Amino acid sequence: MTAPLLAVRGLDYRYPGGVAALRDLHLTVERGRKLAILGPNGSGKTTLLLHLNGTFRPTRGEVWLDGCPAGYDRRSLNDWRRRVGLVLQEPDDHLFAATVGQDVSFGPLNLGLSAAETGERVREALESLRIAHLADRATHMLSFGQKKRVAIAGVLAMRPEILVLDEPTAGLDPHGVTHLLGVLQQLHEAGATLVFSTHDVELAYAWADRVAVFHEGTVLCQGETTAVLGDREVLHRARLRPPLLLELVEALGLDHDQAASRSRETVLALLRERLGEPASAVPVEPALAHSRRGPPA
Amino acid sequence: MQAIDHHAWTNRWRDRHPLEKLLPAVTLLLLTLALPPLSIGPLVLAGTTLATVCGAQVPLRAFLSILAAPAAFLLAGAPFLAVSLDFTDGFSPHLSPDGLHLALDTTVRALAAVSCLAFLTLTTPLVDWAPPLRRLGVPATVVELILLIYRLIFVFAERALTGRQAQTARLGYSRMDRSVRSLGLLAGNLFQRALEQARRMETGLAARGYSGELRVLMPERPLSWPRLTVAMAGVALIGLAGGLLACDGP
Repeated sequence: MTAPLLAVRGLDYRYPGGVAALRDLHLTVERGRKLAILGPNGSGKTTLLLHLNGTFRPTRGEVWLDGCPAGYDRRSLNDWRRRVGLVLQEPDDHLFAATVGQDVSFGPLNLGLSAAETGERVREALESLRIAHLADRATHMLSFGQKKRVAIAGVLAMRPEILVLDEPTAGLDPHGVTHLLGVLQQLHEAGATLVFSTHDVELAYAWADRVAVFHEGTVLCQGETTAVLGDREVLHRARLRPPLLLELVEALGLDHDQAASRSRETVLALLRERLGEPASAVPVEPALAHSRRGPPA
Repeated sequence: MQAIDHHAWTNRWRDRHPLEKLLPAVTLLLLTLALPPLSIGPLVLAGTTLATVCGAQVPLRAFLSILAAPAAFLLAGAPFLAVSLDFTDGFSPHLSPDGLHLALDTTVRALAAVSCLAFLTLTTPLVDWAPPLRRLGVPATVVELILLIYRLIFVFAERALTGRQAQTARLGYSRMDRSVRSLGLLAGNLFQRALEQARRMETGLAARGYSGELRVLMPERPLSWPRLTVAMAGVALIGLAGGLLACDGP
């Protein structure tokens, strides 16, 4: 078995004030997977992510990169951050340049690439996030969702092996979430390893192929999505509710190990079938539904 | 300020090389300062208005609103230039022809000069000045700082605005004493947030390999010699007309 791309072993972290944030934490990131770090707000998810690119140095324990313990000298850190791209939750913490194109060029230039290569990387990153038309736009005139995409493009332009995203869907509207997940899926299919933190059980269930449940500064349980999220005991301890889709699948008496059970459309179709409606039933118009529910004339 | 910035980013001449705008504007400014204001001033005003409104397609309102602030100061100040005090036999303020002329000269000259700068600020976003500044020998650190401040102004302006709205919603500005208190709290809060923002931004930049230098790829805008020549010909025409008027005049 090859070494995992990134591994956290026995990590303890105390804030400079002495407050313990993470304790005895183990986490494995395997190549080519989509790992969700699932936990409530304030449980230390962001602190953990900041360890994954060497921003924070563990009080005890180690972070392993490709089978070797990662170093904290300048050269090792540069190499580390080239391989592990971290996208913070708040895009304004990333965007410092006045135009989108300029901002995205920052990372590639720090890698020592030439202007021509950098321009190429910028174009490529903006295109993969489907925001090529924003290249000359002023950063401060963008919407929140656009800023978020630019922040991701800025990290992506460095072509990291692992993309680590802190709450990538936070603050986005449903359309923005769909768009972002589409882009991330595309990156994943192109071979990127993805790690993202979230408190959204439904998102983790629908989208991740591995889940690490996080609670009070440590990982309670890590494994395949359906196995972990099907474990009531773990979810209860982490004060999380099981995903609605999973509960539906269970209520319908289906085998929840099937990947198909994680698609909203599949589960809905099964539910209709069970209710005796034809699979291609035309959805009831909202206006009609209202009049049907109205008081009798 | 937001309005100026908006027009600078969206006008029709936004993508032109900054020199194509800077050179004519500075020449007009020098002409305004060198020639008698009453002959050159109105010509310069007409020229900058035409360039901004018809050329760059910035709305006339935006252009006038920039001129409004200095114009207000000039209107307030001009009467004092026009009136002269005579203390020979008691206190008798009176209008003197010299004073009137001086007031008119100053007002027209100042307005014409401001219109040159208004044209520049309305047609060119601040970012575009970075490469010319570097070429003029301004240190990279200073240029980086200018750009960073420019970016952060908008981040903090947004915070300040939402902070103020939140305070207003809880009646923070309902009375004079409360307003003073709320404003103080807001300022203190913004300062704290600025420090926090700096720390987090450093983390964000470090994730992209920041090592003390904020290098970015500057856009390359080709300088169009034909356009520059046409613009300078227009400026020369204004200068010539102004000069002729000055010779004919009193």
